[in-house]
Amino acid sequence: MAQAVVMPKPGNNVESCVLVSWKKRIGDQVEAGETLCEIETDKAVMAVDSAFSGSMLAQFFAEGEEVPVFTNIAAIGQPGEIVDALRPAGAPHESSSEPSAPPEVQSRESAHGPTSHVGVEYREPAISPRARRLADQNLVDVSTLAGSGPQGRIIERDVRAAVEQQQLMTPLAKRMVAQGGYDAPSHGTGPRGRILAADLAPSAAQTPEQQETDDYESIPVQGVRRVIAQRLLTSLQTTAQLTLTRSADAEALLTYRERLKASGEPLGLRDVTLGDLIHFVVSRVLKGHLDLNALFEEDIVHRFNSVNLAFAVDTPRGLIAPVVHSADSLSLSQISTECKRLTAACHDGTIAPADLSTGTFTVTNLGSLEIESFTPILNPPQVAILGVGGIFLKPVDEDGEVHFRKQMSLSLTFDHQAVDGAPAARFLQDLARGFAQVDLLLAV
Amino acid sequence: MTKLIPIDPAEARRSSVVAGREVPVNAYRSNPAREAQIFGRDGLVRIYRDMVYIREFETMLDRIKQEGAYQGITYDHLGPAHLSIGQEAAAVGQSYHLQAHDFIFGSHRSHGEILAKSLSAIAKLPEDNLIDVMERYMNGRPLRVVESFSRGGAKDLAVDYILYGTLAEIFGRENGFNKGMGGSMHAFFSPFGVMPNNAIVGGSADIAVGAALFKRVNRKPGLVVANIGDAAMGCGPVWEAFMFAAMDQFRTLWDSDLGGNPPIIFNFMNNFYGMGGQPQGETMAFGVLARVGMGVNPEAMHAERIDGYNPLAVADAVARKRSILEAGRGPALLDTVTYRFSGHSPSDASAYRDRSEIDLWRQQDGLFRYGQYLVENGHAYQSLLDDYQADITERLTRVLAAAVSEEVSPRICTENDGVGDLMFSNETRDRMEEGKPDVLIPLNESRLSQTRAKQRLGLDEQGNRLSGLRAVTYAEALFEAMIHRFYQDPTMIAYGEENRDWGGAFGVYRGLTECLPYHRLFNAPISEGAIVGTAVGYALSGGRVVAELMYCDFMGRAGDEIFNQMAKWQAMSAGVLHMPLVLRVSVGAKYGAQHSQDWSAMVAHVPGLKVMFPATPYDAKGMLNLALRGTDPVVFFESQRLYTEPETLEAGGVPVDYYEVELGEPAVRRAGNDLTIVTVGATLYRALEAASVLAQEHNLEAEVIDLRFLNPLNYEAIIASVRKTGRVVLASDACERGSFLHTVASNISQLAFDDLDAPVTVVGARNWITPPAEMEAAFFPQKEWIIDTIHERILPLAGHSLSTDQTTHEIVRRNREGT
Repeated sequence: MAQAVVMPKPGNNVESCVLVSWKKRIGDQVEAGETLCEIETDKAVMAVDSAFSGSMLAQFFAEGEEVPVFTNIAAIGQPGEIVDALRPAGAPHESSSEPSAPPEVQSRESAHGPTSHVGVEYREPAISPRARRLADQNLVDVSTLAGSGPQGRIIERDVRAAVEQQQLMTPLAKRMVAQGGYDAPSHGTGPRGRILAADLAPSAAQTPEQQETDDYESIPVQGVRRVIAQRLLTSLQTTAQLTLTRSADAEALLTYRERLKASGEPLGLRDVTLGDLIHFVVSRVLKGHLDLNALFEEDIVHRFNSVNLAFAVDTPRGLIAPVVHSADSLSLSQISTECKRLTAACHDGTIAPADLSTGTFTVTNLGSLEIESFTPILNPPQVAILGVGGIFLKPVDEDGEVHFRKQMSLSLTFDHQAVDGAPAARFLQDLARGFAQVDLLLAV
Repeated sequence: MTKLIPIDPAEARRSSVVAGREVPVNAYRSNPAREAQIFGRDGLVRIYRDMVYIREFETMLDRIKQEGAYQGITYDHLGPAHLSIGQEAAAVGQSYHLQAHDFIFGSHRSHGEILAKSLSAIAKLPEDNLIDVMERYMNGRPLRVVESFSRGGAKDLAVDYILYGTLAEIFGRENGFNKGMGGSMHAFFSPFGVMPNNAIVGGSADIAVGAALFKRVNRKPGLVVANIGDAAMGCGPVWEAFMFAAMDQFRTLWDSDLGGNPPIIFNFMNNFYGMGGQPQGETMAFGVLARVGMGVNPEAMHAERIDGYNPLAVADAVARKRSILEAGRGPALLDTVTYRFSGHSPSDASAYRDRSEIDLWRQQDGLFRYGQYLVENGHAYQSLLDDYQADITERLTRVLAAAVSEEVSPRICTENDGVGDLMFSNETRDRMEEGKPDVLIPLNESRLSQTRAKQRLGLDEQGNRLSGLRAVTYAEALFEAMIHRFYQDPTMIAYGEENRDWGGAFGVYRGLTECLPYHRLFNAPISEGAIVGTAVGYALSGGRVVAELMYCDFMGRAGDEIFNQMAKWQAMSAGVLHMPLVLRVSVGAKYGAQHSQDWSAMVAHVPGLKVMFPATPYDAKGMLNLALRGTDPVVFFESQRLYTEPETLEAGGVPVDYYEVELGEPAVRRAGNDLTIVTVGATLYRALEAASVLAQEHNLEAEVIDLRFLNPLNYEAIIASVRKTGRVVLASDACERGSFLHTVASNISQLAFDDLDAPVTVVGARNWITPPAEMEAAFFPQKEWIIDTIHERILPLAGHSLSTDQTTHEIVRRNREGT
């Protein structure tokens, strides 16, 4: 008997994955453990391996399609087996454009519903004004509905049924969908599955039409890029974020980094980077400012005692922020090792969903690109993100004399909904002090 | 039909001949000495003066229409002006002996009659009486204008007032006698007995009979003249008016103290042309018009031809007819020979007559000849007559200047529904006049005591329907409303076919014969036009009247009277007249193609009518009570399917006491959230059956709304229901094409478009003739039609088996076939 291959759920918050490519074709022999296809979540590309041996009998989705998790995507079994029972309801191979007959209608004359019309040219299945209004109010896409009224007209009950099926959605998300350009997932990440604006994905159907005449390239926004675009926009639209900027003395940091580089091979500390040091200091200073090591969700601020430190990694597919879990309990060396592992996985596209989740604070570092200061964008629901700029010589007043010292710029973006300006400024102050006294922190 | 007058076969079959009474033709012989005695010098001269007024007034209009100016005053008059230049002697002679309380009704060519009758009244009425009339009319507003340019005393003021009020009316100004709403063809001034002039040929005949009936029934002084043209002799309603006015019962059955037949003169202003057709010699066969009187009654209507070019001959004839009418021996017919020099209207090139013919008549011009008569007999010098001409020209110039001025004589404001405010009087009056109603027995001895004693609700305690023998029926509910008003309003009368003794073909009036003298309830000839037309005349004269059409299908026979007279006179009079006329119309079934039609759409279409159609005994009484206390014309439809039905929908049954249903408010007969069914008339009960099926078999709760009123109609309850349900089907027994329900459907579509879940759908009878009773289920809407229609066009019903074709395809097919 044929077996179904289901779209896995690679992470708690994953609702659907893009089927990137099939590795087996229909008719191919498949061994258990062999890769059938690659899928992409909002965070990574991963392989789906076969749990069965047999022949690839059917593939229910084409490459590039987004498939809800737990949906059957393929069937494996003996050649000749019937696989219709495994075919998922919404699969595009089943044409949904054919009008379906109104349900359960019998007639004396024939098994028809309201009798078809002859002689007058009618439009395609229409929608009643009342149904139209209800659909507009509830942002129901009527093009997906099968009308149950006369001649397949979409009537109120059809829309009402769709509304009942419809997920909870925040007003902002509804507005975004209504304005077009976004598709709502079947379930949201908000309470009781409420769809948040952050859950929306840009519509795949939007393709510019002027490619032939203009000299530019059109790149569909998909996969990670799509998620990034959405997340960042949502961040700006749904939080009250602002950025504080100050400088921190980096002399001690640089001095210590030099010492590490000069340390002996056996210690294994020569590859500790300035970034690692920064992550270390942040993980320690945050312990005294838990209001910034927090998530803000639906009027509740969750403060975490442990620091799950996310850091931004620039990859060819876009920005990814892996998480160093419990960074505050790791040594500098351990943090350095973990950061290297995560960075490599991001670049390889093998990062595990678990390594991408549950960050409580994010650091993003543009120092190597000589940025003086910037306004990092929050990664909701986190309430703060630290942007680290370049290190520059700056004049400093020391006992009435001007000295030039190496200063590192710090840009802290925080959500004013959760944190006020003064505590954020104090955190930044402590952070600057921590950088200046990194050697002391190492002793704690 | 009366048991009092037996039909003896021996008499009916006896051989004899009918001997005709001779009809005098131009029998008047001038006797100057006697005429001087009768009229006096002043009277004789005034006749001349009044003829000049008319001649110059219409000459002025002729100049205005043809040249756009008169005496240097320019004006462009867009409306009609049917002139009677040449006919002045007939108008002035007729009015000479008429009193202010005598009525004249006229035609589209009655400017001369308006002026003649008014000038006669001014001559007769005391000055303070004249001032009082002018101060009261339209709150003195036209009078204020006339005072600004009039010269002389109160009589001169009144003459200027008449000229100005008539001209302003012709020009469509708010200071016109009817605020400009009547215009040239309909102008009138009732305080001087100038009653509505009618632009429908012969239209005044039956209306005038109704006015004369009002005078008889209510013991009012005076007579009534219907001025109509010779061509009106070809109009059926004129003949019907003869029959009605000449009925034997006025002398044989009515109380003799009422005075006999209604005091009416049918005066034919015989100018020998009906527009361009020539009745004598071309379009008719009477030779001498007065001959037709011989066909009406043994007195030949006292008909005679008189010389309308001699005002004294006309005045003499009217005086002689008055004595006949006062003796109750009317009606009278006058064939008043006259001739118009002017065309039918300004557009008339007189292609139908030779110039030489006009010249011959001009040589006999009544005005010129009468002037000669006065000079020859020493009543006036020619210079005096010439002075009249100059004085009247000067006076008319002043009147014209005021009438054409937009500042002095503005038009009625048409913004904010200005004309709409005139469509209905919307008053309620328990009685149109004070007084003790003529009745034969006390109310508590009437049949009312029997109907009151019946069960008032048509359901027993278990909810089973009671027989109409035990519970008060729809017909009895109507009876209760009728008898209530009969005992309240002394002016109220009712008539129609078989109304007395039989109590109407459907027994609604059973028991009224015992209560009411003949003059309050009587049988009319089978003359639907005259039944309605006389009722119009009775009502606009100030009496309350209920006319009955036995079948709705007979409305065709009374088309003009319903559509052009009953509907229009309140508004055309600008509120001067009221129309407390209820026309009961019975909608039939089982009697085939000419006795089973619901034509409510026709009357609802015509502005000026209130249209009601009760479907339950409660409403039958409450709505008829409402109609009978109002002052507006009501077409009151009843259903023959319902006369014997008791009340099963109003929980309290039919109240014993007086009550009224609120005007224009539909009734929700069954509440529901899924679908709205709107009905008119007896279809309500089939809709309720359909609603039961929908609830039992399809889990759909239909809200059923009984429209009750077609006009006025408050849509609020309907829209509220449709907002709730989103689905509406409308059903009535009227043929689908052109059904009033399509008007309602259209309005629902506009008022609740965004609430609709399906097209608003009308179920009507097939667009066929009504087939025999055994086949009616294929013609009138059945509950299955309603359900099939819902399934096909509104909401597919699971498991429903169709019994009829209600598809949109079928709509197209039926219309393509014209069925």
